[in-house]
Amino acid sequence: MAIKLIGFAQSPTTRRVVLVLNELGIPYELESVTEIQTIKTEEFITKKHPFGKVPVLCDGDHVVNESRAICRYLVSKYQKDSKTVLYPDDVHKASLVEQYISYELSYYDPPLSKVLYQEIYAKRRGEPTDEAVVKQSLEELSKTLDIYEKILKGKEYLNGEYSLADLFHIPCAHIIYSATSHKDIFDSRPHVKQWIERLQNRDAYKKTYAE
Amino acid sequence: MTIRLIGFPFSGIVLRVIICLKELGIPYELDPPASYKSLRDEDYKANKHPFAKIPVLFDGDFKITESRAICRYLVSKYQGKYNDTILIPNDVHKAGLVDQFISYEFSYYDPPLSKLLYQEKVVKSLNRDQDPEVIKQAREELAKVLDVFEKLLEGKEYLNGEYSLADIFLCPNSYYVYDAGHSDLWDNRPNVKNWWNRLYNRDAIKKSFEETKSFWENNPKF
Repeated sequence: MAIKLIGFAQSPTTRRVVLVLNELGIPYELESVTEIQTIKTEEFITKKHPFGKVPVLCDGDHVVNESRAICRYLVSKYQKDSKTVLYPDDVHKASLVEQYISYELSYYDPPLSKVLYQEIYAKRRGEPTDEAVVKQSLEELSKTLDIYEKILKGKEYLNGEYSLADLFHIPCAHIIYSATSHKDIFDSRPHVKQWIERLQNRDAYKKTYAE
Repeated sequence: MTIRLIGFPFSGIVLRVIICLKELGIPYELDPPASYKSLRDEDYKANKHPFAKIPVLFDGDFKITESRAICRYLVSKYQGKYNDTILIPNDVHKAGLVDQFISYEFSYYDPPLSKLLYQEKVVKSLNRDQDPEVIKQAREELAKVLDVFEKLLEGKEYLNGEYSLADIFLCPNSYYVYDAGHSDLWDNRPNVKNWWNRLYNRDAIKKSFEETKSFWENNPKF
């Protein structure tokens, strides 16, 4: 039975999982959600996600939700069948990947999500853009990327070799590049810029964003 | 060489690691920094944490930052070495569910909890007034999350059935908010109340909070 991924096809959280599926060459079916009401029903909440969210992954009878947890599950179960290593076996290297995964969660995603909310999702909802929030969030993100600029010096990826930590950064960065005028926040920092370009040149990236 | 943990024992984030170390029976030394201000020294940022945060853990020459990453490292390396306590199961499906609950903590539980923590603990120390509207909204948001937990905990002792890292991660800051006048949020929900009491009475957790109290008594400047 193929893996089934339920989600909004273009959302960054769904794409996070699609990137892993493509990196590891795992076949899957995407069940695209078109109406938000379908994920708020009693049945969905009981069987798929108690908070009424997507993405949700069904692997036979096993259901996992939350994009980062789904990605970890896929790596644990299927990385051994693939040539791509997203999570090293060595305990010290793996924990440094975990550290960079935590940096994404703690210092990168919060300000970046605020910018995306104001520039994209608020507009879709007909809410006015709060320019003060955008400005403050870009300042906070700049400080984070200044630190990334140092971390990436002499390295191709955050932990040296490509890993899940780099992958987690891709979806929101993609939206900044493709749908906002703020890509200079990455491009003005040479190591960060090269890192993003390297990510964008990966086959799995191209496959994910061609779909 | 003993593990060295840099951080304040009263910090909810550092307590995650302290609880994890105690649960796994791992010997360690706690090395509190001079002050929060000292975290922003260039030397600290260069050699300990580039984002000027705690905790930081040294295991011999190996350095790791970020509480959740540190805990996962300790589990990978030391689970089963000093005692039988399992914080992340070996089975890939069960471990996947622990990761899922860990994600619930940072996606849905921590945002309103952190707002309440800020209002109850940080605002006062900055000599500012609390914002009752923020407190009201955060309580409502946390109440909705705890309603979901109430269902998830039906027939279970811990979030994933057996005790795991997912329970540890949300414990410390919950304690501070619980103790700051918001205990009704947990106590009004029978499954949540039982779970909370079970957590709070674990030896490792009780001892960790006793050490926090001890630290406050001996270091009133904090």
